[in-house]
Amino acid sequence: MESKLMSRRVYLDHNASTPVHPEVLAEMLPYFAEVYGNPSSIHAFGREAREGMDLARERVASFLKVSSQEIVFTSGGTESDNFAVKGLAWARGKGHLITSQVEHHAVIRACRALEAQGFDLTCVGVDEFGMVDPDAVRRAIRPDTVAISIMHANSEVGTIQPIEAIGRIAREHGIPFHVDAVQTFGKLPLDVNALGIDALSFSAHKLYGPKGVAGLFIRKGSKMVAVQHGGEHERRRRAGTENVAGIVGLGKAVEIRARDMHTEAERVTALRDRLWDGVRSRVPEVRLSGHPGHRLPGTASFLFRHVESESVVLGLDLKGIGVSAGSACTSGNVEPSHVLVAMGVPLEWAMGAVRCSLGRSTSAADIDYVIECVEPLVRKLRQAMPVGVV
Amino acid sequence: VRYSPTLVDHFLNPRNAGLMREPDSVGENEYEGCGDLTRFFLRVRDGRAVEIRFQTYGCGPTIAAASMASELYRGRLVGDLCRLEAGEIERALEGLPDDRKHAADIAAGALRAAAFQYQARRG
Repeated sequence: MESKLMSRRVYLDHNASTPVHPEVLAEMLPYFAEVYGNPSSIHAFGREAREGMDLARERVASFLKVSSQEIVFTSGGTESDNFAVKGLAWARGKGHLITSQVEHHAVIRACRALEAQGFDLTCVGVDEFGMVDPDAVRRAIRPDTVAISIMHANSEVGTIQPIEAIGRIAREHGIPFHVDAVQTFGKLPLDVNALGIDALSFSAHKLYGPKGVAGLFIRKGSKMVAVQHGGEHERRRRAGTENVAGIVGLGKAVEIRARDMHTEAERVTALRDRLWDGVRSRVPEVRLSGHPGHRLPGTASFLFRHVESESVVLGLDLKGIGVSAGSACTSGNVEPSHVLVAMGVPLEWAMGAVRCSLGRSTSAADIDYVIECVEPLVRKLRQAMPVGVV
Repeated sequence: VRYSPTLVDHFLNPRNAGLMREPDSVGENEYEGCGDLTRFFLRVRDGRAVEIRFQTYGCGPTIAAASMASELYRGRLVGDLCRLEAGEIERALEGLPDDRKHAADIAAGALRAAAFQYQARRG
């Protein structure tokens, strides 16, 4: 049935995941059946695997301008976030944590779990653009604050947080600062020293690497405990045999992004603006959520008033277009996005949130096709709508 | 696509969508939890629903269920509409995933409400 309905396929969900870059795949392939030793083994088989992993670590470290000893590989962004937040908190035993209301669930729920264990938690709010006010972070600091965790950019609305200012405040107070950079790593320049960052989460599959591999930068000398216990891997910071092929892929993906990032950012920014201009000129009652200037290059999150987001996602899916819904319906319960709620977006707009995230395969023709499909779909959905029900 | 071709067709091409001028009765049903809402309008002649129109706010299956119900029950006795069950709509849509069963419930509840209102008005 899909082949009958779909004349073309357009993937606009790169903030969810990206295809593995062909060069990344080529570099990974030998590490499945040819270079298969355990990198902890001291024989030649193990050493070969370790060499691949060491190169990947060097590539990541050089991208972040840090020492390779400060990079720990993990199984995903969620593990990196849990490791950072819990590792920093548990190393101090008790105290107060600061995060924001718009963090990824991996950070918010890790913080909530710590709160249940007796830590105090402050979730600072955001403005209408989804931006954290550094002064709100400053005001939240207490003598017993043990960690601050603020994301670099929000995956849903694309707003880039003022982490440089927040890092400065954290440093002034001597509080460790964790940044969830899963959405920006490989998309925006990152200088963890200039930004005053002590721990930084990143993931491979958001930058054309494989799924199931990620990492955490931990500044040397940071007081931090392991969250996963076992062998001596990753300098005793994260137990478990490393995902060598995945780590090799992550390293290659970072190397490619370091090369292509700036031109790619310019290109997808232009396409994103083309998408927004096209949609707003054809569709009434639509807004762009997030910050108008400080936003991820390829992210355009639309709020269609009086339309239900999942019906837009389904309608576009039937046209071969992959986008994501800002509100999720699970077994008849709709949860408007916690990010949009924190931004104070009225329900009648928040329920119609649809995110398009562009990437390296996105073309101008793709964007024009999406614009062409969105207008009649939203018009049709609104025709069946009782006005003013939400 | 996780939905049947029939459901997709009704979602993409909803039948009888939109307002009805001077209906004989109106019924609404809002689903607690997700806020999906469907409203049916009935035109009744000789005790039968000769025209059924709907408006809905909801996900794809909710729209498709309302559209399907508007076709399925046209021409039926209002008394029958008072007793209609969500399962009939679901079967006509060739099934709904477990987490979207409420789509048929919303349509069934709204159409029953419209039928009950008609009967109440008639005394």
